Amino acid sequence: MDTITLRRFDLADADAMMSWASDPVVTAFTTSEPYESVEPLLAFIRDTVLPHPWFRAICLAGDGPVGEVSVTPTEDRCRAELGIMLARAHWGKGVATAALKRVLATVYANLDGVERVEALVDVDNAAARRALEKAGFQQEAVLRSYCVVKGLLRDMVIYSFISTDTLVE
Amino acid sequence: MLVIRMIPLPCSRIKHRAPAALLQPATSSEMDRGQEPQAAAARGVEVSLRRFDLADVDAMMVWASDPQVAAVCRWEPYESTDPLLAFIRETVLPHPWFRAICVGGEEERPVGAVSVTPTADACRAELGYVLARAHWGKGVATAAVKRVVATVFAEVEGLERVEALVDVRNAASQRVLEKAGFRREAVMRKYCVLKGQVKDMVMYSFISTDSLVE
Repeated sequence: MDTITLRRFDLADADAMMSWASDPVVTAFTTSEPYESVEPLLAFIRDTVLPHPWFRAICLAGDGPVGEVSVTPTEDRCRAELGIMLARAHWGKGVATAALKRVLATVYANLDGVERVEALVDVDNAAARRALEKAGFQQEAVLRSYCVVKGLLRDMVIYSFISTDTLVE
Repeated sequence: MLVIRMIPLPCSRIKHRAPAALLQPATSSEMDRGQEPQAAAARGVEVSLRRFDLADVDAMMVWASDPQVAAVCRWEPYESTDPLLAFIRETVLPHPWFRAICVGGEEERPVGAVSVTPTADACRAELGYVLARAHWGKGVATAAVKRVVATVFAEVEGLERVEALVDVRNAASQRVLEKAGFRREAVMRKYCVLKGQVKDMVMYSFISTDSLVE
């Protein structure tokens, strides 16, 4: 498998980003609707991605972005929430797992005061759950009736990796 | 939106100092006088919940000014009623679900407060409560929380889940929730910061289809 790298986004990445952001299969488990044109995506990059404390493009060796990963601080300075999306063409190859391992190896040094990175995943999102587990996240619980996604009440699984957990090679 | 973490009630039997649940007092609106107070008995503890009134500020000062109560909450003890009145007006009055806890039949003065605060998702809200120290260890909090889950789902549209976060070392508060029928879902490690300390918190929930405990 190619090495993955994480880098900051650029407005010029908007077209590459459309490959996952416009895909309804990719956004199915998230609260986002797929983007239908690049203009609102450009606004999202400008207003949310560029000023964000930790938002990275997932790149395969030498190529443009194939996905995005973000770690967003919450109202508690010790806790941040992970989000990840990958273009469907790159599913099933270990890219998400590799990206998550890379995030955990670097994010604590970058985000001051953060001691806990957590991820909320739909209980039926088996692929995402496997990637988190292989990257070393620990499942803490199933949170019942946690949120409404696309009109349906969902149970969500909460995973965490805290600053003192051991990185998985 | 202010998210109020529930801090457990200290119990007189607990040797270490347990945090007190703190609910910032809800303001009662001028319009709700006609509403019937909801009452529940739990093992002989008669508890009723009603909306707050600005006139309740003196009763509220009893717990809001208590350093032992404030110790486990995010705020500092109030030293005068003016900022407390402002808090009632600005936070409690507009709050969607904030109630005074009253005990006994004739005593209408609140001895504490309980709130259910919506989150970013309408289906999910967070429980918090606070009780004046004189009423700790008597089952008042348990009775109040039982009354909350018996009524709040019908009163808040779209609500499906009430959750509560309790310090992992606060056994007394965990017992209150368990006795009121909440399910313990997880220990969330290094979840939040309270007065400079990073805490592990236990997540409890009561969902709309769970059974009420009598």
